[in-house]
Amino acid sequence: MKNDIASLVRDTLVEAGSTFRADKKEAYRKAIENERSDRAKWVLQTILENAEAAEENRGPLCDDTGIPHLLLELGPERALTGRMLEQIREGVRQGLRKLPGRPMGILGDDCRRIDQSGGLDPDPAGVEPAPILIRNCEEDVLRLHILMFGGGPAIRAKTYRVFHKHDTRVVLDEIVKWATEGVAQLGCSPCTLGVGIGRSHYEAASLMLQALVDGKYGVQSDMEREITKRVNESNIGPLGLRGDTSVIATFLKVGPQRASGVRIVCVRPCCCFEPRIATVDLGE
Amino acid sequence: MIELHTPISDEDIRGLRVGDTVSISGWILCGRDAVLPKLLAMIEDGRLDELGVDLRGQVIFHTAVSPAGVGPTSSNKLEIESSIAPLSKAGIRLHLGKGELHPETVRALDEYGAVYAVIPPVTALLGAKTGETRVLAFPELGMEALHLIRADRYPAIIGAAHGRSIYEK
Repeated sequence: MKNDIASLVRDTLVEAGSTFRADKKEAYRKAIENERSDRAKWVLQTILENAEAAEENRGPLCDDTGIPHLLLELGPERALTGRMLEQIREGVRQGLRKLPGRPMGILGDDCRRIDQSGGLDPDPAGVEPAPILIRNCEEDVLRLHILMFGGGPAIRAKTYRVFHKHDTRVVLDEIVKWATEGVAQLGCSPCTLGVGIGRSHYEAASLMLQALVDGKYGVQSDMEREITKRVNESNIGPLGLRGDTSVIATFLKVGPQRASGVRIVCVRPCCCFEPRIATVDLGE
Repeated sequence: MIELHTPISDEDIRGLRVGDTVSISGWILCGRDAVLPKLLAMIEDGRLDELGVDLRGQVIFHTAVSPAGVGPTSSNKLEIESSIAPLSKAGIRLHLGKGELHPETVRALDEYGAVYAVIPPVTALLGAKTGETRVLAFPELGMEALHLIRADRYPAIIGAAHGRSIYEK
């Protein structure tokens, strides 16, 4: 086991907040090439230039640096201790200070945290990460994925039930409808759509998170391709200013399903910078 | 690219059209959800002179100001969009943010001779275009306090002007 888990996590968080992965850069280049609107093309180029500047500076892609969401994958022979979890949390704190994260942790008791009357923690590390999601994997690794979730997509995301009428198309139609509404309202398109379909709201949201971790811009299933194509037909465009490129890709994960007429669907229209993600192997 | 410098004149505003690309330079105000209602309350109470800044011809950028930088938040959030009409009436000439505004807000901008511009959320690029920053009022709000910052050629597209919107279907 590597000794300095906190340092690895710190640097991974900075990478997540400041870097486009190679397949995402390539997806943007293709979108710029295919976009027919000059205005939309200018927006896409500006977003890509911003990503290159952020990577070079190792600084934030967006001033809403986001809430850390962590997914940990454990191989069959790996063990996780409470001490390691605390080292991961310490790494998150260090990463938020180094990025730097936006100091947007809210102070105070339950009531004051809701109405924001308790004030803001001036320390970027005051932004608590969301609960860690853990899953098994076949490889011999202890792999941590860090995603930074911004506020805009959280406003426009939706988790709700769909009566599927024993027809997958009914569910796809609803996803396209929600996504089109969300992308139009977001203001920070083009989006990557994160979609999870499960048996409960918790499960659907966690599947959406896993879809963002596992998704690849160059590898799209038929359902993912169809959702992207249909939302793009809405002509919302980058920043909502019209154009062919409202959605760059869709990352969809379908979990186990219940014998029932209902599916629980989570759709997150991730903004032009998301998924802000980086990955590190904390094992030997 | 049309170059705008604060304070922006009424003549400059009259010449702007939806879809124009502009660059914005000079001292500009920054505020968002938490502080804009407080700024409106100052106007209603006749305490605007306490700010020490003349709102006439000014720009307000819908952003927080933090060590992470600046970048637009959604201007159609309730507390932000509802500030656009009264702040335009008070002299603000350009509201800088992102997202579609409601038709009544587009009409109010026209009524008070103001415009709305959309700025890409490019924090890393804006960092090189942002000079001095200072807190103007409500420091207890931290990054959401009312800030004054010096902008150097911020890129934007006119999203609403003279009763028209770039988001019209």
